[in-house]
Amino acid sequence: MTTPIRIAIIDDHAMFRAGVRASLPDTLHVIGEAGDVDTAVQILHDTPPDVVLLDVHMPGGGGGGGAEVLTRCADLHNRVKFLALSVSDAAEDVVAVIRAGARGYVTKNINPTELSDAVARVHDGDAVFSPRLAGFVLDAFGTATTDLATADDELDRLSAREQEVMRLIARGYAYKEVASELFISVKTVESHVSAVLRKLQLSSRHELTRWAAARRLL
Amino acid sequence: MCDDQGVHTSPPPAPERLPLRRPPSGQRIAGVCLGLAAHLDIDVRHVRLGMIVAALAGGLGFVLYAFLWITVPRGDPWYEGAYHAGSARAAPPLAAPHTPSGPNMAAHPVFATPWWSRIPLRDLAVGAMLVTTAVLLVADRLGAQLQWTLVLSVIVVVIGLVLAWGQLNESQRGTFAATVGGRSPSSLMRVTGGIALVVLGVILILSQEQGPQMLVPALVSAVAVLVGAGLVLAPWWLRLARQLTEERASNARAKERADIAAHLHDSVLQTLALIQRSADQPGEITRLARNQERELRQWLYQETPKEGTSTQEAARDIIATVENDMTAALGGQHPVTIDLVVVGDTPPDPTTHAVLQALAEASKNAVRHGKPPVSVYLEITDTAIDASVTDRGPGFRLDDVPNDRFGVRESIIGRIERRGGIARYRSLAAGGTELRLTVPRTLGATHSPASAQSEKS
Repeated sequence: MTTPIRIAIIDDHAMFRAGVRASLPDTLHVIGEAGDVDTAVQILHDTPPDVVLLDVHMPGGGGGGGAEVLTRCADLHNRVKFLALSVSDAAEDVVAVIRAGARGYVTKNINPTELSDAVARVHDGDAVFSPRLAGFVLDAFGTATTDLATADDELDRLSAREQEVMRLIARGYAYKEVASELFISVKTVESHVSAVLRKLQLSSRHELTRWAAARRLL
Repeated sequence: MCDDQGVHTSPPPAPERLPLRRPPSGQRIAGVCLGLAAHLDIDVRHVRLGMIVAALAGGLGFVLYAFLWITVPRGDPWYEGAYHAGSARAAPPLAAPHTPSGPNMAAHPVFATPWWSRIPLRDLAVGAMLVTTAVLLVADRLGAQLQWTLVLSVIVVVIGLVLAWGQLNESQRGTFAATVGGRSPSSLMRVTGGIALVVLGVILILSQEQGPQMLVPALVSAVAVLVGAGLVLAPWWLRLARQLTEERASNARAKERADIAAHLHDSVLQTLALIQRSADQPGEITRLARNQERELRQWLYQETPKEGTSTQEAARDIIATVENDMTAALGGQHPVTIDLVVVGDTPPDPTTHAVLQALAEASKNAVRHGKPPVSVYLEITDTAIDASVTDRGPGFRLDDVPNDRFGVRESIIGRIERRGGIARYRSLAAGGTELRLTVPRTLGATHSPASAQSEKS
């Protein structure tokens, strides 16, 4: 990591922005801040950063919060990575932004080291899953063995390996621990998690839709 | 928040007689007989029979019925008798001989209503009708040549007007949700029927002079004028309707905001006050904040399933209790947070109860002996319950625990094994301890009642 990662902090609480900015290490360089949807969309288009820390709840725009910023910045998605931040681990807050294109999410009580790790991981194109999000994924895609995908490219199902990885993350394992538990490399764990993220974003699986609709996420 | 309505809560004395009202349902024609029966406390069939007999005997019944129809307001006599008897009695008479310009009149609820609602429309209509009838009868007696077809036409028009305006009167009263806004099918039928009757009556009046051959053109032109007027007035009416809807929505929003304000005041401010008082106890602050977060989330999303229907909910409750208890046990100096992830759900049964108890016990141990973060994972499928408690402590070997220590062996492993499950402790390579339990669910259903009994103890 020779060149610092350029990040933007999108959050309507100035205190929180200041706190994150102060706690970030030198490897992360804050180049933009915004407090509402419209400003966020504008600064992201003016000076696209590498990674955006995106709050889930925000005023402005059409009232869509973080998910709206993601959809309105859809043209930037191959250059800019989004990491969603939420005050809590609730499905209500998070699945909408993941579906809209965020590469992962962390809660706001995350400690600075974990936050910069998460930013670096998202910057490398990997996904960041918390235990709770892994639980949601298992819930939404089903845990029964009949739900397993035979081929990895099936969008509506998880492969056996992906299910195992999700289960371990849901148990509270770090990626490194998942890797040593399953005798695979951290890189493989990351690729599994990325695959699950892709399925979560692209799947039109009936259960997922119903599950999200029941929680008023779609 | 002013809540002084609850002060005068002495129950109103039961009315000896229900108020005279035309009930909104169960009526044959306009509910006159039903309301009369309720008021006089006699069988409605007797009232109807009497009314029919009176109607056959010279038409007295018709007149009486029409009179009561017009003068008796609609309403649920039982409802109003039960809830409004006291206030109705206490209210001053509407026809009080005050001038509305008095200094303290505006504050009075009766005079705060718009002026037009104070005009006794009903009484005026009845009076006018009676006077007209009397004049007609006297004129007939005096030998004037009355055109009875004209009189009949006028009567048709009047009935149509009564139908249509009665609808308006009811929506003003707003007694019944269904009629508010005039969207109910019956109110629509009333308006349509009223208009049809008025049109018919007007055409009848107009076609008095001309012959019946003029009837069809008159009908066509009348309908054309009505349609034209309707087209012109439609936007205005639509705008009115939209404004009404918006106003209702904003009222609902204001109410919701008031609810939220009340809730914030009651619970969040309390918690903030408590947090300020326990500034020297980081653990206690975390506990208060987490409890408040749970409560607020539950309150905002209102997704709490009914008690005893969701194992997820039971798991959240039991882990919250563990957090609270352990914070107190550690003297409030150390934040106790347990991350809970639940996959799947089922109504609680003895098996889930046993698993939750074991998880609670295990997470207490993890908080006491391990290091945070403590994670609890619970996966419920149709065939099994799979759970784990993970901490980052120094690790733990069951063999190191003396045999007389009951906690782990009995309340965790024993409990699970009695359910036909497996519970194993192991140390993680990266540091920390993990308890994994798996309990088959089909076995739980056919479990012997004896051990189910022992589980509850």
